Amino acid sequence: MLRVAGTSNVGKVRTTNEDALVLEPQRGLYAVLDGMGGANAGDVASATARAAIIEFVAAHGDDMPPKQLVEQAIQHGCAAVHRAAQERTEHNGMGTTCVACLLVDAQHAIVAHVGDSRAYLHRNGRLQILTRDHTIVEELVDRGMLSPDEAERHPYKNVLSRNLGARVDTRVDLLELELKAGDRVMLCSDGLYGYASAEAIQYQLGSDDDPEHVANDLVELALRGGGGDNVSVIVIEAPPAAPSSTQLVRTSGAIGWWQHRQKFMQAARDGGLARNPIVRGLDPDEALELIALNLCEAIFHDLEKSTGVNVWTFAQNLAGGWFERGGGWTALREMVDILANASRVVVDAIRAADGELGFLLDVAVGRALVVAELALGGLLAERLRTMDADLIALQTAMQEADSRGEGPTAEDERDAGIDTGSRFIEQPTVPFLRADRPATVPGTSPEVLDAITKTLTIARARTAPRAELVREVLTALDAIAPDGGPEGLSTATTAARELYGVRPVDEAGIMPLFDALDQARIITTSSVHQIGVPDALRAKTLRAISVGHQRLVTAITTIVLESVAPISERLREVAADTSTLRDEVAAAERRRAELERKHAESIDHSLPWERRGTTEW
Amino acid sequence: MSTAPPLAGAFDALRPRILQRLLDMRATLDPSMARLDDGAAHEQIDAVLDHLANFIATGDQGLHRAFLHTFLAIRAAEGQGPAAVLAMLVAIGDTAAQVAQESGAGTIEGAELTLLLTRVTASTARSVNDLIAEELDDRNMQWRELAARSGETRH
Repeated sequence: MLRVAGTSNVGKVRTTNEDALVLEPQRGLYAVLDGMGGANAGDVASATARAAIIEFVAAHGDDMPPKQLVEQAIQHGCAAVHRAAQERTEHNGMGTTCVACLLVDAQHAIVAHVGDSRAYLHRNGRLQILTRDHTIVEELVDRGMLSPDEAERHPYKNVLSRNLGARVDTRVDLLELELKAGDRVMLCSDGLYGYASAEAIQYQLGSDDDPEHVANDLVELALRGGGGDNVSVIVIEAPPAAPSSTQLVRTSGAIGWWQHRQKFMQAARDGGLARNPIVRGLDPDEALELIALNLCEAIFHDLEKSTGVNVWTFAQNLAGGWFERGGGWTALREMVDILANASRVVVDAIRAADGELGFLLDVAVGRALVVAELALGGLLAERLRTMDADLIALQTAMQEADSRGEGPTAEDERDAGIDTGSRFIEQPTVPFLRADRPATVPGTSPEVLDAITKTLTIARARTAPRAELVREVLTALDAIAPDGGPEGLSTATTAARELYGVRPVDEAGIMPLFDALDQARIITTSSVHQIGVPDALRAKTLRAISVGHQRLVTAITTIVLESVAPISERLREVAADTSTLRDEVAAAERRRAELERKHAESIDHSLPWERRGTTEW
Repeated sequence: MSTAPPLAGAFDALRPRILQRLLDMRATLDPSMARLDDGAAHEQIDAVLDHLANFIATGDQGLHRAFLHTFLAIRAAEGQGPAAVLAMLVAIGDTAAQVAQESGAGTIEGAELTLLLTRVTASTARSVNDLIAEELDDRNMQWRELAARSGETRH
C-alpha cells in the first residue's frame, strides 16, 4: 500500500505561511504550492490555486488521461490566480509555484511543476532531483549565457521565470515516473532545500521511518538550518518489495514440491506408468524410480534454480532412448500425460494448503511440462529431418535405377506390398535417464570400458572440425567416464579446470563451454547406438558416460561459481565502504546544519536581507 | 481442454501489452522476424494472438489444431523447421502468460488468465508435437513403400 504524509511550517522568520498543500488520496493527487506577492497575497495565491486544482481534478478525474488531467488542473489553477490578481489591486502581481504528483496506479505517477518547488526521487539509497527550477538564472545557464558557478552567485537566482498567476496560462513541465518498490517521492518548497543540504535530505529520506516521521524530520532539518522561509514537504512512499514470485517458487515452492515426491510417485503409479511400453520388462518400482522420481527431481532442481535445463535433459534422455530403440510417439505421449497428471495431483495438494504458492507452482510446473514438450518436439523434428533426407536419398537411388532400366514393373510393385508390421521393437527398454544416478555396479567392466572408448571415438569422428571445445569435452569424458567411483570426481575436477582454462574468453563468456558440453552430450548419446554391443552393455555404457558428463558439468559449474566469488565479495566490501562514507557525510551535514542553526539564531533580523549572511541558495 | 470464455475479454484487454512485448523481443522469437519491419512483424504476431484469442473464447481444439497445421505448413514453406516454429509458438504463449501474471498480480482474474495461458501453451506444444509425429508416420510409410519397391529392384 502506498503511504503518504505531508506537513507545512511557517518557519522561523516569516509570520505567515504562504505555502499550501494538496493531499487528496482519493484522487491520488498531491501537491506543494509556494505563494508569493506583497501584502499577504502569497497565501491567497497558493490557496486559490490549490482550490482550483482540487476542483478541476474532482470534475474531470474520471474522463481525462492522467497526464492531461494534471496539466489542465495546473492551468486551471493558473487562470484562477491570474483572475483573482486582476480583481483586487492589493493582489496584483501575486503568484504561486506548484509541484504536483498524480498517482496513476501503484507503479506509475505523473510529476508536474511550475516554478522552483521541487520533486525528488529517493531510490535504492540515491537521491535524484526530478524537476528543474524555472528561474531566470537557470534559463540563462540553459542558454549558455551563465556558468553554473556564476548562477550560484547571481543576485537574481531566486527570481522565477514561470509561475501560476503572472499570466492567464503558463507552461507546465511534465514527467512520467515509473515507481519501483520502496521508492520515495518528495515534493517540497524552497524552504526545505534552501536550508538543508541534499545529503541531509537524502539521509532522512533513506531512513526506515514512516513517511509522516520523515516529513516532520525534513521540516525540522530546514528549521535547524535557519528556517528562513515557509517549509512544506510531502513524502510519497511506494510499497516495499515483497518477496518476488520467483523467489517464492525457488524457495518454498521447490521445497514443497520435493516434499510431495511420494504423492507424485503414487499418482504416477496409479496412472499406470509401470504399464507403459517404454518401461516394459522393468520391475514397477524400478520403473517408477527411473521415470517418476527422476522427473520429480528434475522439476525440483529447475524450480530451485529457475531454469528448465533439468526437465529438458530428462525429456531428451527419455525420448532419445526410446526413439533409438525404435519406439514411437504414442507411448511417449502417454508417458508424459501420466507424469503431467501426477504433477497436477501434487500441485492441487499444495494449492489446497496455500493458495498463492499453489498458483505460482501451478504456473511454474506447467512451464516445466511445456519445456518437456519443447525437448520432445526438437527430437521429433530432428527425426523428421533425417527421415526426409533418407527418403530423398532412397528416391534418388531408385530414379537412377529406373534410368538404367532396372526399376520394378507394375506387377512387381503389386506383389511387393507394404510392410505395416510393428514399428516398435518389442523388447524391454531401459530409457537413458538423468546422469546423476550413481552407477549401480562398483568398478567398470572391461567390456564397458571398451564400449566407452568406441563410443567416444565415434563421437569424435562425428564432431565438426572446428568444434575444438566439443573435442576437448570428449577428451575429458574419455578420462572421467571409465571411473564411476569416488575417484572419478577428482578426475572430473582436474578436467574441468583444464577446460575452464582453455575456453575462449570473448564476449560470449562461459556460454561456449556450456554449449560444447551440451553438444558433447548429444553426440555421445547418439554415438552409443552405433557401436555393435548387446543392449544391456549399451545401457551401462550410456550410464557411465552420462555420469561422467554430469560430473564434468557439476565440476565446471563449481569452478565458475568459485571464480566469481571474490568479485562478489569485493562488491559487498565496496558497498559497505560506500555506506560508511554516506553515514560520515550525513553526520558532517548534521554538524553543519547545527552550526548554521546557531548562526541563524545570531542573525540580526533588522539588517537588510542580503546583509544577513544566511545560507539561502 | 476446457477454457473459460469470460477470460477472453481479459486477454483482449492485455493484447496491446502482449503484442508490444513480443515486438520488442521479436528477434529472439524468430531470427527471420528481426529482419521484418515493424508493420510486417506486427501483422505476423498479431495473427497468432488473434488465434489465441479465438481459442480462449471457443476452446475449440479442432480449430486450434487446424490453425497450427496451416501455420506449420506456411512456415515450412518459408524454410522454417517445425522445432523452430514450436519454439516460437511456446515463446509467444509464455510471454502472454508472463504479461498476464505481471499485469494481474494479486487478482483472481490475473491468476486465472495466467494459468489458462500456461495451459493453452502446453496444449499448443502438444498439438504441434502430434502434428510432427503424424508427419513422421506418413514419411515412415512412404519410406517403407519405397524401400519395398527398391528391394524388388535389387533382386
